[in-house]
Amino acid sequence: MEPDAQLVQGCLRGEGPAWEELVRRHTRRVFNLCYRFTGNSTEAEDLSQEVFLRIYRTLASYRPAFGAFPTWLTSVTRNLLVDHYRRTRRDRLTDSIEDAMPKLENKQSAARTPDKLALLSELSAQLQQGLSRLSPELREAVILRDLQGLDYSEIQTVLEVPEGTVKSRINRGRIELARILEEMGLRPQN
Amino acid sequence: MTDWNCARTEERLSDYLEGILSLAEAAEFSAHAGSCDACGKLVKQVRGLVHQMSALDALETPPQLIPKIIESTLGPRRKQSGGWQRWFARVPQFWQPQFAMGAITVAATILIVLYTTGISPAKLKKADLSPANVFRTANRQVHLTYARSAKFVNDLRVVYEIQTRLQPDAEPSPAITPAPAPQPDSQPPSVNPQEKSQTSPHPSHSQSRNGTMLASLLHRNWAENVGVIVIGNIPRSPR
Repeated sequence: MEPDAQLVQGCLRGEGPAWEELVRRHTRRVFNLCYRFTGNSTEAEDLSQEVFLRIYRTLASYRPAFGAFPTWLTSVTRNLLVDHYRRTRRDRLTDSIEDAMPKLENKQSAARTPDKLALLSELSAQLQQGLSRLSPELREAVILRDLQGLDYSEIQTVLEVPEGTVKSRINRGRIELARILEEMGLRPQN
Repeated sequence: MTDWNCARTEERLSDYLEGILSLAEAAEFSAHAGSCDACGKLVKQVRGLVHQMSALDALETPPQLIPKIIESTLGPRRKQSGGWQRWFARVPQFWQPQFAMGAITVAATILIVLYTTGISPAKLKKADLSPANVFRTANRQVHLTYARSAKFVNDLRVVYEIQTRLQPDAEPSPAITPAPAPQPDSQPPSVNPQEKSQTSPHPSHSQSRNGTMLASLLHRNWAENVGVIVIGNIPRSPR
C-alpha cells in the first residue's frame, strides 16, 4: 500500500499524527497551486487552509479507484479555486471573464508587489505576472501541466473534461503565455 | 505535406514538444517551422517557456501555514506532545520576578536550617540520608542545642556574678548570693594558699586578683562543651 493510502487509512481510524503527516506531505503542492492560480500569497494561504478543511471533512468519500491521493487532492483544490474565482468575479466584476481578468490582475499585481518580491525570484515573478493574464481555463491547464507536473490523464480527471480539451487548453495556454511574456519584453531562453 | 500551415503548426505545437506526433507529422512540423520565421520563433519561445516552468522550483510553504491547517482541523492542541516538552514550556515562568524571589527565599531558608543544625551539604553522604542516621543526627542536634542554650544562660549568670564581685560598692542583687563584707582571714577553699600571703587589703589589688580567678573559671567554663557552672564553686571575694 502506498504511503498516502496508509495515511488516509490512519486518518479514517481517527489517528491525528496520520493527518498531520498527510498535511505536511501535501501542503506545498496545494499552496503552490493556489498561489499560481491567484497570484496572492494571503489568498493562497486561506485557500490552502480551506482545501485541507474540505479534505478533512470529505476524506471518507475518497476512493483509491478514483485515482491517486495527490490527484484527488488536486481535483479538490482546483474545484475550490474555481469556486473562489467565480465568487470573487461575482463580487468584483460584471464584465465577462476574458475582459475582466487583465484589469483585475493588473490592479492586484500593483498592490502585491512586496508580497511577490518576498516570495518569488524575478523569473518566477514574471511568469506569475504572465499567468495572471491568461484566462482561468488556460491558466489552470498550464499550471497543472507545467508547474505541477501532472500528466494528461490526471489533468483530465481533475478538470473533468475530455483529453482532447486538456491538450488543446495546455497548447493554447502555452502559446498565449509565450506571447504575453514577449509583450512584457521577456524572451524565454531554452 | 503541402497542407501543413501555420495554424496547424500552432495547433500541434505541444504535441510536437511532448514528442507524441507521429514520425511523418513531426517531419512536416519541423519542415514548416524551419521555413516559417514566425512559426520557428514561436516554437523556440514555447519550448523555452516550458523548459523554464518545469525547472522552476516550487514555492516554499509559509511556515505558519501547516500549524494553522492542523489547528483548524484537529483543534488547538498537540503543540507539546511530550512530557518533557510540556515541562520545558514552563521554563519561562522561572524567570518571572515572583518566582525568582520565592526561590531565593526557599534557598535561604534551607541554608539557614542546615547551618543551625550543623549539616554541611558538601560533606553530606548517601548514608546520612537513611532514616536511622537522620533521627540520630536530629536527636544529637536537639540535645546539643539544648545544652548550648543552658550553658549560655549560665554564662550570663557568671558574667553577672563577676560584675557584682568587681563592683563591691554596687548594691548586690538579692537574687544572687549576697556578697559578704570583706574578711581578710577567711578564704575560700579553692584559693591557692600562696595567694593568701599576697592578699592585700587594698581594694584595687583584691579586685585584680578576683578578676584573674574568675577569668580562669570562665575560661574553664567555656572550654567545656556542655557545662553547667555551679554558682557555689565560684570563688568569692575574701571576706
